[in-house]
Amino acid sequence: MIQIENLTHVYPASRKTPARTAINSLTLTVEEGQFCILSGPNGSGKSTLFRILCGMSLPSAGTIRIAGHDLFKEPGKARAEMGVVFQSPAVDKHLTVGENLRLHADLYGLSASVYAERLAEAMAWTDLKDRLNDKVDTLSGGLARQVELAKALLTRPRLLLLDEPTTGLDPASRRNFIDALHKIQRERRMTVLMTSHIFSEAEDADRVAIMKAGNLLAFDSPQNLRGRLGREMVVLQSRGAVVLEGRIRADLHLKTRRHGDEIRLEETDNGASLPILEKLLATFRDDIDSIAIKQPALEDVFIHLTGLQKSDTSENGEVQ
Amino acid sequence: MIRVAFALARREFVRFMRQPHRVIGTVAQPILFWLFLGSGFNASFHAPGMNGVSYLQYFYPGVMLMMMLFASIFSSITIIEDRDAGFLQSVLVAPVSRMAIVLGKVMGGVSIAMVQTLIFTIAAPFLGMPLGLPSLGLLILAYVLSSAGFAAMGFFFAWTMRTSSGFHAIMMVFLMPLWMLSGALFPLENAPGWLHAVMIINPVSHALVLMRGPFYSAPAQLFADHRWLLALGVTLVWDAVFLLGSMARVQRREKGAPA
Repeated sequence: MIQIENLTHVYPASRKTPARTAINSLTLTVEEGQFCILSGPNGSGKSTLFRILCGMSLPSAGTIRIAGHDLFKEPGKARAEMGVVFQSPAVDKHLTVGENLRLHADLYGLSASVYAERLAEAMAWTDLKDRLNDKVDTLSGGLARQVELAKALLTRPRLLLLDEPTTGLDPASRRNFIDALHKIQRERRMTVLMTSHIFSEAEDADRVAIMKAGNLLAFDSPQNLRGRLGREMVVLQSRGAVVLEGRIRADLHLKTRRHGDEIRLEETDNGASLPILEKLLATFRDDIDSIAIKQPALEDVFIHLTGLQKSDTSENGEVQ
Repeated sequence: MIRVAFALARREFVRFMRQPHRVIGTVAQPILFWLFLGSGFNASFHAPGMNGVSYLQYFYPGVMLMMMLFASIFSSITIIEDRDAGFLQSVLVAPVSRMAIVLGKVMGGVSIAMVQTLIFTIAAPFLGMPLGLPSLGLLILAYVLSSAGFAAMGFFFAWTMRTSSGFHAIMMVFLMPLWMLSGALFPLENAPGWLHAVMIINPVSHALVLMRGPFYSAPAQLFADHRWLLALGVTLVWDAVFLLGSMARVQRREKGAPA
């Protein structure tokens, strides 16, 4: 559904800033019907990728095909296949919910009968039924987001792009939004690409892409990504983490990674964590504030992958 | 494309009508301007070759033009607001012709300007400037053509601007002089030579000729008047240049530097 090949995007140099490579020769294929999450720390290039994907800017090099159409050569055809939900509101606050939906239908050339049918469909899964004649201005954050999603789905896109759509929502509204999205995605066998920082949103995805400094670090199912870290890890907190890390390495010959006050022993085999924990407690009890065995979550994979990259290639992302 | 443009234009119009202070402000200001200036200058005004024309009458199409000019140009300012509020991005990612995006905004601006100017046109018969139906038709044609040109020009300049205050500043520096030197305030005929030259190349003065014509000449006479036909031609070219220019701006997508 989405084929990205050797995509590179360089922001041109200006008087104050040098040229900056936001995306570095990225190749990625999202299969039809997949729910794909695009993640990465700030400045990783995912927003740039999103802008290019929805046809708002042109890259320095590379190609993208959306449902077989070249996005750069036939933007009209590619645009007709997709729906976009932006991070910032893209509805007119001064118009009512109904007027906004109607306008969207006009932009995509839906006939009156198709519009009526799709509107009914949208009313079935949203909580907007009684709010159609209210201005979007008066809606709560959660409802306003529902308008955005309902609007994008009105045209039955084969591909739905979402840019951090749950930003600013409370946890309950966020859950509602994601659940509705998953349900509709399964029913319609729609392809979804969503950028997100929130790893609980990524756990149910078919594929998770992790970007860092313009490079694609990983693109895999959540299960396989978790598998990359071994199955368990020992996590301990210490106020003297720097010193303690050195001593664990020297005395016990264990591999460690440190994030602030937290030390992680990630490459432990199944069942090996408990003996390690006991050994650590026996040796360094006084230096340890807390210690636990943890099943890796996607967030841990993310921290592992993006943290790794930092020390290796700090220059990546600058144009020499 | 027409459907998309109409849908976008309708949105502009609905938004305008929902902001009553905007409606009142844009109609009341030129009317006050006209009444105060017009009454003040009325006694001392003698236009060459326009015997018996009072200043209130002379100034009337000028104020009409001012209304048209400002209403059209400032309706395009909403493109900056649309970009800030995020609405514009959903229009840009839709599979719609880029010309439809421009036309939507311009037609919205024209319809808003029309409402205001048509209200003002009601005053004409009471000023002793009655309009026959054919003349009224020509007047409306003049409104639409000049308003479309101004709205498209506003679009063209607003597209790359980031704040509406910047747009205000530039448009005031740019528009006020254009309007003053159009013949709206005083006749071109007794102006010094250099000023006269400026007035000739000023597109706003051609728009004024286009609007003033129907008040003083019958439609048949206008179509034989080379000055009026020239004004019509200039305005049409003006429309085309800024509509196409605006479309080119919308079409241009921000591009990455060569890798």
